[in-house]
Amino acid sequence: MDPLISIRILRPERVFQPHEMLACEYQLDAVDAAELAAVEASVMWYTVGKGDEDLSVHYFERRTPGDVVDGDLRSLRRFECQLPNSPLSYDGFLVKICWCVRVRMFLKGGRDFAQDVPFRIGDVPRVQFTPPEEAAAE
Amino acid sequence: MARLFRLWEKKRGDRRTGSRLLGGLGEVLFAGSLFLLGVALLTNTIASRVHGEVGYGFGFWVLALVSISLTILGGTGFVLGVLQVGASRERRSALAKRAQKMDLLHEAPRQRDQFPTVPHDASLTNSPGTTLAFRLPTTNYSAVRLAASTIFSLLWNAIAVVLLALAANRWLAGHPDWVLTASALIFVTVGAGAVTYFIRQMLVHTGIGPTHVEISALPLYPGQSYDVFVYQAGRLEVTRLTLALVCEEEATFHQGTDVRTERQPIAEYVIFSRDDFRIEPGAAFEHQCQLQIPESAMHSFQSTHNAVSWKLVVRLDAVSWPPCERSFPVVVHPLASVVPSA
Repeated sequence: MDPLISIRILRPERVFQPHEMLACEYQLDAVDAAELAAVEASVMWYTVGKGDEDLSVHYFERRTPGDVVDGDLRSLRRFECQLPNSPLSYDGFLVKICWCVRVRMFLKGGRDFAQDVPFRIGDVPRVQFTPPEEAAAE
Repeated sequence: MARLFRLWEKKRGDRRTGSRLLGGLGEVLFAGSLFLLGVALLTNTIASRVHGEVGYGFGFWVLALVSISLTILGGTGFVLGVLQVGASRERRSALAKRAQKMDLLHEAPRQRDQFPTVPHDASLTNSPGTTLAFRLPTTNYSAVRLAASTIFSLLWNAIAVVLLALAANRWLAGHPDWVLTASALIFVTVGAGAVTYFIRQMLVHTGIGPTHVEISALPLYPGQSYDVFVYQAGRLEVTRLTLALVCEEEATFHQGTDVRTERQPIAEYVIFSRDDFRIEPGAAFEHQCQLQIPESAMHSFQSTHNAVSWKLVVRLDAVSWPPCERSFPVVVHPLASVVPSA
C-alpha cells in the first residue's frame, strides 16, 4: 500500500486574490517514521496545454528527520505564505496556468510520492474560443 | 478524450510513463558512455600521432575534433544529469528562483519579484510620443518575411537556372533529356512564384508608408480606458483601415527533434475602423480614439515555453496593394496588483 499524503487548504472554496495569505496543513500516513528521508512542500504554478510544461515554485520548504524534535515527519504540519501578484490562474485554449500545493515525500529506499491540491488565484474567466476550423464544421 | 489520435501531435495527459529515477540514470549512463568513448578516441588519436603512425593530415584533425566534441558533450551531459537525478523538480525550481534573486545589480529582478511572469514594459516606454505619452514599437514581421523570401527566391532560382542551362545544353546538342527538362520547368515555376511573393513583400515593406501608434499610459490594466493615436503615412487609396486589440496565446513544444511554436489569437476587439478614404503625401491619416481593456482580461504572461500576449494591430487594405498588417505589443498587468514594499 502506498503512503498517504493529506493536504488541506484552510479556505474551503480555494479561491484567492493576488497577495492574499494562503494557509495550508498537511500530514503523512501509512508509512513508518523511520522510512521517511525528507518531505518537501511547495506552493507552485505549472502550465498545461500544447506547449512544454513550465513550472515555478513560489514557496518551498524541505524538512528532514533532523529538523523535527522527535524525528517524525508524519505529524500535522501547517505553513502560510503570501501569494504573488501573478500569474493568475488561467484556462485558455493553448495555455492553462494551474496553481497547487504539492507535498512530496522521499523514502529512504529512493522512492518518492507526491500529492497536489489545486487552488485558484484571481477570477479570470475561462476563455470562450472556437477555433476557425471547428466553427466552420459547425 | 481526443476524437482522433494524431500521430505527430504532442502527447497529452501524464507526461511520464516510466520511472523518473530510471530515466535520469539512463541519461547519465548514456552521457557517461559518450564521455568515455570521446576520451578513448582522443587518446588513441594522440597515441597514433606520437608513435608516428599518422601525420597531421585532414584525418587526424577530423578525429581529434570528433573525439573532443564527444568528450565535451558527454561530460556536460553527465554533470547536468547527476545534478538533476538527486533533486525534485520543485526543489530545482526553488533553487533557480533563489539564484535569480541574487542578481541585485539590475532593476529587472525587482520588477520580476513584484509581477512574476509579466513581461517588462521597459522596451515599450522608452520612446515618447508626439501626441500621447508613448510611441509603441512595432514587431517587424514584414522585415523577417522579406529577408526569408529574398534568401529563398535567390537560392531556389539559382538551382532553377542551373537546371535550365543543363536542359538547354542537352536540347542544343540534339539529345533532349525529358526528365531533366521537366524538373527544370517545375523549378522555374516554383521560382517564379517565389519571386512574385518576394516582390509583394518588398512592396509592402517599402511602398506603404510608416504606421505609428501612440498610447496615453503603460502598462495597461483590465477595465481601464486609454487614449490611442494612429498615424498612417503614404500615398494610398484606402478601402479599409482597422485598429484592433488582439490577445494571443503562444505555445512552444518539442516534436521529435524539432522545436515548434504555435500561436492562436483568442480574442479580438475592434477599436475603430474606417472605409474608403485617401492618404496623400504630406497629409497623413491621423486618428485618436479610446481603448477599453476588458474587465475580465488575462494579464500578459511569459514563461519559458508559454505566453499570453496583447497587441494593437493595424490592418490596412488599399487599392493596388496587398493587405498589410502591423503589430504593436502592449503589456497588461493584473488588476489587483499590490506592489510589495522594496
